[in-house]
Amino acid sequence: MSKSILIDATICTACRGCQIACKQWHNLPAEKTTNVGSFQNPQDLSFNTYKLVRMNEEIVNNRLEWLFFPDQCRHCIDAPCLEIAFDETAIYRDPATGAILYTMGSKNLDADEIISSCPYNIPKKAKDGTLAKCDMCNDRVHNGLKPACVTACPTGAMKFGEREEILAIAEKRLGIVKQKFPKAMLLDPYEVNVIYLVGHDPKLYSDYAVASANKGGLSRSVALRKMMGPFARMIRV
Amino acid sequence: MKFDRRDFIKISGAAAAGVAVSGLGFDLSPVKSHAGMLKTRYAKESTTICCYCAVGCGAIVHTSKRGDGRVINIEGDPDHVINRGSLCSKGSSLKQLVENENRLTEPMYRAPYSNKWQTVSWDWALNTIANRVKKTRDMNFEKTNAKGQTVNRTTHIASVGSSALDNEECWIYQTLMRSLGLVYIEHQARI
Amino acid sequence: MTNHWIDIKNSDCILIMGSNAAENHPISFKYVTQAMEEGAKLISVDPRFTRTSSKADIYASLRSGTDIAFLGGMIKYILDNNLYNKEYTTAYTNASFIVGKKFGFKDGLFSGYKKNEKGPALGSYDKSNWAFEMDADGVPETDRTLKHKRSVLQLMKNHYSRYDLDMVSKVTGTPKEDLLKVYKTYAASGARGKAGTIMYAMGWTQHTVGTQNIRTMAIIQLLLGNMGVAGGGVNALRGESNVQGSTDHCLLWHIWPGYLKTPRSSNNSLDAYNTKWTPKSNDPLSANWWGNYPKYSVSMLKSFFGEAATKTNQFGYNWLPKVDDGKAYSWFDIFDDMYKGDIKGFFAWGMNPACSGSNVSKIRKAMENLDWMVNVNIFDNETGSFWKGPGKDPSKIKTEVFMLPAAVSVEKEGSITNSGRWMQWRYQGPKPLGNSRPDGDIIIELGHRIKEEYKTSGGVFQDPIANLKWDYETDGVYDPHKAAKEINGFFTKDVTVKGKLCKKGTLVPSFAWLQTDGSTSSGNWLYCNSYTEKGNMSARRSKKDAPNNIGLYPEFAWCWPVNRRIIYNRASVDPKGRPWDKKDWVIKFAGDEKDGKYVSKKWVGDVPDGGWYPLENPDGSKRKDAKHPFIMRKHGHAQIFGPGRADGPFSEHYEPLESPVKKNAFGSQRINPTAVVYSTKADAYANNDPKFPIVGTTYRVSEHWQTGLMTRPQEWLMELQPNVFVEMSEELAKLRGIKNGERVNVTSARATLECTAIVTKRFTPFKIDNKTVHQIGIPWHYGWRWPSTGAEESANLLTPPAGDPNTRIPETKAFMVNVIKL
Repeated sequence: MSKSILIDATICTACRGCQIACKQWHNLPAEKTTNVGSFQNPQDLSFNTYKLVRMNEEIVNNRLEWLFFPDQCRHCIDAPCLEIAFDETAIYRDPATGAILYTMGSKNLDADEIISSCPYNIPKKAKDGTLAKCDMCNDRVHNGLKPACVTACPTGAMKFGEREEILAIAEKRLGIVKQKFPKAMLLDPYEVNVIYLVGHDPKLYSDYAVASANKGGLSRSVALRKMMGPFARMIRV
Repeated sequence: MKFDRRDFIKISGAAAAGVAVSGLGFDLSPVKSHAGMLKTRYAKESTTICCYCAVGCGAIVHTSKRGDGRVINIEGDPDHVINRGSLCSKGSSLKQLVENENRLTEPMYRAPYSNKWQTVSWDWALNTIANRVKKTRDMNFEKTNAKGQTVNRTTHIASVGSSALDNEECWIYQTLMRSLGLVYIEHQARI
Repeated sequence: MTNHWIDIKNSDCILIMGSNAAENHPISFKYVTQAMEEGAKLISVDPRFTRTSSKADIYASLRSGTDIAFLGGMIKYILDNNLYNKEYTTAYTNASFIVGKKFGFKDGLFSGYKKNEKGPALGSYDKSNWAFEMDADGVPETDRTLKHKRSVLQLMKNHYSRYDLDMVSKVTGTPKEDLLKVYKTYAASGARGKAGTIMYAMGWTQHTVGTQNIRTMAIIQLLLGNMGVAGGGVNALRGESNVQGSTDHCLLWHIWPGYLKTPRSSNNSLDAYNTKWTPKSNDPLSANWWGNYPKYSVSMLKSFFGEAATKTNQFGYNWLPKVDDGKAYSWFDIFDDMYKGDIKGFFAWGMNPACSGSNVSKIRKAMENLDWMVNVNIFDNETGSFWKGPGKDPSKIKTEVFMLPAAVSVEKEGSITNSGRWMQWRYQGPKPLGNSRPDGDIIIELGHRIKEEYKTSGGVFQDPIANLKWDYETDGVYDPHKAAKEINGFFTKDVTVKGKLCKKGTLVPSFAWLQTDGSTSSGNWLYCNSYTEKGNMSARRSKKDAPNNIGLYPEFAWCWPVNRRIIYNRASVDPKGRPWDKKDWVIKFAGDEKDGKYVSKKWVGDVPDGGWYPLENPDGSKRKDAKHPFIMRKHGHAQIFGPGRADGPFSEHYEPLESPVKKNAFGSQRINPTAVVYSTKADAYANNDPKFPIVGTTYRVSEHWQTGLMTRPQEWLMELQPNVFVEMSEELAKLRGIKNGERVNVTSARATLECTAIVTKRFTPFKIDNKTVHQIGIPWHYGWRWPSTGAEESANLLTPPAGDPNTRIPETKAFMVNVIKL
């Protein structure tokens, strides 16, 4: 049994409380940024930024939409990075929470291979090749707290709980949201533990909002495993 | 001080299963041997209200009981009925407001025509300010105005601020300023 | 806020106009979102598309400075289509009052106008021209059928008849179909049992017509019956954590704690003062709460001077300063006087005027005239270090500056009051960093030194200083609990009040116990009931809701007045005491009934605005022991017609001091004829000038706060918003050859500011009277001190030297600029 997060982009206001709450809890340093003509900053996730609210202005059906997408690791059920690494001292899954965790041992991996394996373009490396990304606040979760970003979220755009429970909430929310946004969808809900609900074409939010071929990083072994997903999951559980 | 949830953040760690991978994305202790202990576990907890906008969100401050006695963590108070634990980007960064190397930590003085600050003692600063206040006030005190009406004021000293003060501080501050005869008393609400 | 944050969830229609709540009060969206999930509609009206707009059902843009035109159109729509709540409007507002024959309005001017050549106010009105007609008993004449041609309702109908869709659209630049969508959706909240709320902030106040922007909306709320109800109200989203409390305690020139008046020089005795400012009503049905004024003023004087305040010395009334009749001593006037060299000493306590006022070049220049400045803050700022700021030569600046390090809020104990009037106690976490000290400690210590100076070396008019009560310490350290108790108040001797013996020294239970004879002391009557013999009410933490279950949480913290969470709540019930809204009710009458008459008094729900009987019995007969619900108004009725305002009893559209049009489409008065405009050589402005063809405005973003002094020194927040920027439309960028992300210059008649260009679809040009008008916007969070590169400066370099006639709040939301590629 694992934990899951639902991120409902339709009610995210991009206050970015989550983005800072993440840095606060993890004691992550700020990045030196400049305004490049957008409110979004930094421009991408990094070794020191595990959570980033992406902000895009799009015209949809003759109406301006300012789309917000609090991007982070999806904690895949079959995580390509974990499969590729094949080294539990570097990347492992916490069986109690389902969180995919990177350790300092990740320094010994081929960082670029791990990065390119991720269908969501999440992991980032330090200069020395150590990899970092969202850890689902595993320490908090083990102590009965919600992840820092979920705690901080004012509108309820982020919800945390047992996977079954979150999936049920996600399905219910989807039904409600569809009344307003007919094209609303859940993103890869059966492949990941961080499930996004978006109101519009996911491509408008982020190039990597859904796992897609444009990353092309799935190794053969992972692709194979994905094909036999249900079976693989069964033996893992 | 009472909390509805005294044990907030002190819930004992799930010792066997916990794995803390935090900080810079890695953990210095051997993988999987680390108990899931929170950095806030042995900290003092106090509640506060966020000092930015006027929504009045509650936050919990974790102060180290050891070492330097400084803030380890500030996060939203789940038992506060307004914000229920949530905080925006500014509220979430409260810790960096307190623990900030840019803060002023000593009284400073800039002499006339000087191009630099010098550190001074509180004693000297407060005595000198009291002296300046008295001098300016006494030299320019108006007992009556041009019409001969009693006014008992000075218009040569002005004060601005502050909604950054607590209520009790606001109240004693205005009594001090008004008893000195100031009428130029203004603050953020005017702009 | 008349209501409070959580109450937003009870709304059926939320209008966010003149504010940007999603960005500047982000946690409010917890309740906006909850309301929307229950079916509420969200409307965002703003010159640009914001994070608030991104969540709205309806977005409409308008040119900065045209809100009265926009809302005046809504009043007309409501009246034309009979969408107002007639029962509410007739019974509870002054819509039925008959206005005297001297009232008139012609071509932009109300009757009684006089020009003022001396400035800074451009003119003023003799308001006696706007008085109501009174009957023989001195009670306003009314026509409850609302048909009398000089009734407020008919005058209003006539006044706003000019605000038709064509006119409004021509002025605001809002497409007509968008206007209609907003009007129709919002007016639907006038249905019985429905509630609409307005969330506004500085986007409405910072104009030369700021007060009237809000009055226009207040009129709409009264017409729709939205005052006093859950999910309704007029809600000012205040911007600083304790700006509500600091206003209540009156760190403002014109008021004493609890909104008492600062005495005028003509109020030559305490009696004269109390007589002047205590309103009188001859209507037995009017509670006229301010009739208690002398109890509050005397109790306040007692708290200033303690035992030294006696009846024989008028409780120390003459120890406190008086202001000249007819003169203002506002922020603008301080810096105007300082600029002219008349102010020698200056406290900037927890403020950064070098970035926060309008036209800060003038403020920074004015500071050079000071002999001394005391700057108390947690970071060095553009104010304390003004002598080494851009363009300054320290060797030519004489000002002595004392910079005192203050503790951060989490390092001290005390209370603050949020926008919903909730007073909340906070506790000390760590000790103050280094040698910094809590503000309270600094104030107390400074007070001691000043008292000591006078005691040892004598001086001018020492009485107030010597007699100022100054015992707010425990073991030699400032004790906020002592100050909090002083503010609440206590009995100064054993007295019997309401048949109850109150012992000397015990805390006053509420302001209903205050007296005029000096037997009670209370620093601020509004905060009476906050710290009583039952304890510190502001520290309460119960999560139990009231029986109406609308999120009042009456035992969580404390709110003024007397823990009433929704003010004017007596208007949430009909004249028989039954809630308009059966589901989200605020209060209801629960007294016993016999033969169609109420025979006992009892209200349930929120603390009612007075516990009197309802106006009518269940059988419809009028009661003589009832009170009208708007108890703070002299006549007990809410004011659709507001004869106390400086610029007119109704609102009228005037152009900002600087605007893109030559002529006001509504009449020959181009700008507010009573606006204040300053005129030193540092106060330049330019109207309809081809050099400055673009409308400019300022605002805030989520990631910074005010002048940025408490956010710019923080790396995490600077990561999110590193540079001062100017937002502009793709059309304007194309016209000026500007690319997204480039640095550009923005110039006004006062200064030039370098910014990073954000070229965005969120700004679009306006069609104003068939002419294309562009608008830009700049956040005002920056200043040269932080970041230490000095490259990011304050948007208030650009803002104009004019303000609202009632408040003198500057017009920083609408002015004219040009944008030039670097």
